[in-house]
Amino acid sequence: MKRRQFWALVAPSVVVMFGFMLVPLYQTLRWSFESVNYGEAGTFIGLTNYRAALGDARLGRAVLFTVGLTVVASAFCIVFGYVLAALVNKLGRARPLVLGILLISYVSPQVVGAVAFSWLFDSNFGGIVDYLLNAVSGGAFGNPLWFTSTWPNRLIIVANVVWFMLPFAMLMILAGLQGVSEETLEAAEIDGASPLQRHLYVIIPSIRGVLGFVVLILTMDVIRVFDSLIPLAPQSLTNGNESLMVYIYRVAFSEASRNLGLGSAISVLTIILILILLFPSIRNIVKEARA
Amino acid sequence: MTLDIPAASTRSSQAPVDLAPEAGRGRPASRRSRRAGVVTAVVLTIVCLLMVFPFLWAALSSIKPTDVAFANPPVFRFAPTFQPYVDLWQTTDFYLYLVNTLVVAVISTIVALIVGLPCAYALSRYTGISSVVLLVLALVFRALPRFAVVLPMYDISQSLGIYDTTYALAGALIVINQPFTIWLLRNFFAEIPPELDEAAMVDGCTRFGVLRRIMIPLMGPGILTAGIFVFLFAFQEYLTAAVLTDTSSKTVPVFIATQLGQNLPLLQQASAATVLLTLPVIGIALIAQKYLVAGLASGAVKG
Repeated sequence: MKRRQFWALVAPSVVVMFGFMLVPLYQTLRWSFESVNYGEAGTFIGLTNYRAALGDARLGRAVLFTVGLTVVASAFCIVFGYVLAALVNKLGRARPLVLGILLISYVSPQVVGAVAFSWLFDSNFGGIVDYLLNAVSGGAFGNPLWFTSTWPNRLIIVANVVWFMLPFAMLMILAGLQGVSEETLEAAEIDGASPLQRHLYVIIPSIRGVLGFVVLILTMDVIRVFDSLIPLAPQSLTNGNESLMVYIYRVAFSEASRNLGLGSAISVLTIILILILLFPSIRNIVKEARA
Repeated sequence: MTLDIPAASTRSSQAPVDLAPEAGRGRPASRRSRRAGVVTAVVLTIVCLLMVFPFLWAALSSIKPTDVAFANPPVFRFAPTFQPYVDLWQTTDFYLYLVNTLVVAVISTIVALIVGLPCAYALSRYTGISSVVLLVLALVFRALPRFAVVLPMYDISQSLGIYDTTYALAGALIVINQPFTIWLLRNFFAEIPPELDEAAMVDGCTRFGVLRRIMIPLMGPGILTAGIFVFLFAFQEYLTAAVLTDTSSKTVPVFIATQLGQNLPLLQQASAATVLLTLPVIGIALIAQKYLVAGLASGAVKG
């Protein structure tokens, strides 16, 4: 394809994507150096917003919580996703139906799923989970404060994130499993490898690329998680489960002060964090494309 | 010649026995492999139930009489009622929110595809460095924190006087989902051999002609896949809709989230709204499962 043709074909998309992304991004960058109210021009105040953001313990807590959530939820998604994919891979005619059902939590609106999720735990609304667990354990389980206590709240947040990201991880890994060579597997079986050994030494190494890609997407999507935290972590300001996105939202949009400059500075810091995390995979893509 | 959707479901046609384990194929089903099949079936049934349980519970709450809808301990024996659905329809603007959600999703899907298709085609065929740079930038854009883009959009839409309109929200979603759209479509285009383009051009077709007459017809399933994804993304969106809309173009996810802090009848209406919003999504998941799987799988193969 000629260069001119390339640019003619990509032009509309580039204008949409870059025009309407770069202008807001530039605005965010500028606001991060300003003291500003919505709808008014800001006044330049240098690095004051950054100093305020970095000096506030709330930012450190939000980063820790967000990174922790990302690591734990991704790990669960990968492990459960692998087991599920291996099971679904054995299915015959039931496979389309099972895949369809498993996809539901991934394709429904996150905020709506999280609202439905919160009703399972909230004792004001029936608390079916407490009820069932107490029925099984004979009441030993009690009634944890799912929304106000730090760790029970973390538990339901992780459970929710795994619930809606698991189908994605499972499907990707399933697609990877389709590409594992049958001959190698048979050879391993003839050599006396147990099923566990076949998974550990044949299948997992050969889908390393897919697993890497799943981790990349999981990282990008869990860091940005916002929708489901609105219903699931209403007390996050006091119980320490405030994520970076919720923090930005509160500072810049929903709290009375509506400090747009400070919110923008935190956004810029988040972008830097994401770029650092993305760097290895970006390098891989460039390397692959050059080859 | 059709575009081969690398569906994970292709194998389903080969296995003759329902839930038959792979190892049992081609030889008499041994007792061990049959037992493995039963275990697989039981585990997957439990997982499937757990995955839909939040929605089942919401559905159950929505048809209980209001006084026991969220009673603690839960009530399991009740006379079903559809009153919350009637109230939802009659006393709130749910209908308006539903129309808004659909309008935003349809507009943003159509425009995103029209804008994204030529770009994705060019990205799959052009081997220059600008192609790689664009793809990497798209990936970075996809990973950006939404607020870095959405809050300025809020400010801009207010100063332009298009705040709280469905087309402003649709426009924002087209922009935000464009990186995903072009990545997905580009991966589908890359599966069509470039020799096909060359043959058509030897026969006198222009580049644009190749795209219009050959690629787009061939890409049918790929375009459908991308369309389903972009539609679902728009349908699901909460953050952007919460910031860019107020009353007149509010969408259903925003409505459901704002009902949360309300009292009992309204809360039960929210569970009815949850059911009404989730039912079509479940329909899409079951009917278009093949395309959703193909869309996700294509990313994996190329990533």
